[in-house]
Amino acid sequence: MPREVEPSLNERQFVLQALQENLRLDGRELDQYRPLELNFGEEYGVADVTLGKTRVLAKATAEVTVPYTDRPLDGIFTIATELSPMTSPSFEVNRPTETEVLLSRLLEKTVRRSGALDTESLCLVAGQKCWSVRVDVHVLSHDGNLIDAACFAVVAALRHFRKPDTSMEAGVLTVYTPAEREPVPLSWLHSPFCVTWSFFGEDGEIAVLDATWLEEQVRMGSCTVSLNKHGEICQIAKLGGTPVDAVALLQCTSVALTKVKEFSELMDRRLAEDLKRRDKGGFMAQLRADNDR
Amino acid sequence: MTATTAPEAALGVLPRADGSAKYSHAGYIVTASVNGPIEAQRRDEHPYEAHVDVIVRPAAGVGGTRERHLESILQSSLAQIILVRNFPRSLIQIVLQVEHSPENDYVNTKLVQANLNFAIMPALFQTAVLALLSAGVPMKATATATAVALSHQDGSKRTIVDPSPREVETAQSVHVLAFTSHDELLLAESEGDFTVKEWDDVYETASKVCCQSALQKEGIAMVLDDEDAGGPAMRHFLRSTMESKVAADLHWK
Repeated sequence: MPREVEPSLNERQFVLQALQENLRLDGRELDQYRPLELNFGEEYGVADVTLGKTRVLAKATAEVTVPYTDRPLDGIFTIATELSPMTSPSFEVNRPTETEVLLSRLLEKTVRRSGALDTESLCLVAGQKCWSVRVDVHVLSHDGNLIDAACFAVVAALRHFRKPDTSMEAGVLTVYTPAEREPVPLSWLHSPFCVTWSFFGEDGEIAVLDATWLEEQVRMGSCTVSLNKHGEICQIAKLGGTPVDAVALLQCTSVALTKVKEFSELMDRRLAEDLKRRDKGGFMAQLRADNDR
Repeated sequence: MTATTAPEAALGVLPRADGSAKYSHAGYIVTASVNGPIEAQRRDEHPYEAHVDVIVRPAAGVGGTRERHLESILQSSLAQIILVRNFPRSLIQIVLQVEHSPENDYVNTKLVQANLNFAIMPALFQTAVLALLSAGVPMKATATATAVALSHQDGSKRTIVDPSPREVETAQSVHVLAFTSHDELLLAESEGDFTVKEWDDVYETASKVCCQSALQKEGIAMVLDDEDAGGPAMRHFLRSTMESKVAADLHWK
């Protein structure tokens, strides 16, 4: 596979010097995100997130399976992140790169391990039947800050998703098709979001939010903070790179909280809009026989 | 479940790929990216021609044998129209990402193992051609594809263009045909029971859908008011999509 093109020395110095002077190539502030857009698909559980030129599509699905033997009371929840050559030709099918491993690991820690989805509610018959919820993350275009966009897409897809309704009668489990009964939402506990800081300069003194691909290639280190709108931190990942001052990190976390509040407000708004669009006026409106004149 | 929606396409939707297209028709939404000609891996390198690599990615679940089968069919037919001999020892990579496929509302599907339907092939094929055009990959001809299902209902035979999943399930046979812009048959894949006579009928129907240009269609419409021919004029669609894209690109002021 062809290697990713690295920025030239001139390009590198230009970006770094601009950042020293508090300037970014696209004219943003250092702590400003690119315009974030969220769209839902026709069916439930499809979220299309655009962050500048980065575009991520997440799709949630559910099916009934047998639970793991060591966890008979829990459902199964998996997040599949496979980067295809669509993202960039340097990614190969069935050969995970470091980016892919880090991305899936961070999503796992942020969404799954923080208990955002109540897996116990996915259990149908203890030890025999449970829901397996799966989110597929498709990265259509990669222009930096994949982690934040992917996390936002996963959370949006899961909150938008509806699983088929079920009922238990005399030990018989019935799973209703969408034509029989309206699907039901997942039991969702809190919405964690990732905020990634990139550090530039000799001692990592310049902290930048939402780095583009070019900035990511020349950065000294990065730190991903996952938290929800109540300020509860799910994880902080600082994998290598230059050491960063603890006080600076604290500052980063507090800025991250304001960003997360913006994210969750955006998501709530978009979800409400989508619900309104789908709402045909409730059961009585569906039963109505008279025409609109 | 609306099988008769008109095809829609957008070109150049992905900023980083050489060429890309999003295509939606009959409930299927597919996004494709094309990169090429790029450096090929040693094992794929061919001394005289470019290697065409097709990757089909289902919307949910992991791809399996069905996807590999679709990939191999698409690969061999697309390699026929791309001028592969112009780019020896290189690679033309086509990634097809299924975003949405129509579902049968009456059945709960198994999802961990994705199984793409045979009827998705025209959508995949058409998206690939559009993305190749968008990437400016030299081709002998453009191509159009369609799916036709034959079903027997109380003794009478019915031909369905762009069948829905439910129609595919109840159909006697399903056929996918593709034609080049020179009216040559490029791809013919069939599934199910059928006779040679029936196949000839399918061929007629498909070639009408794929090879008709707009002018002919208007002529027929005026004379016969021919509504039951079914299916959009694919070639006209391809041409008008490209025309509007080129017009938009040249409108630079």
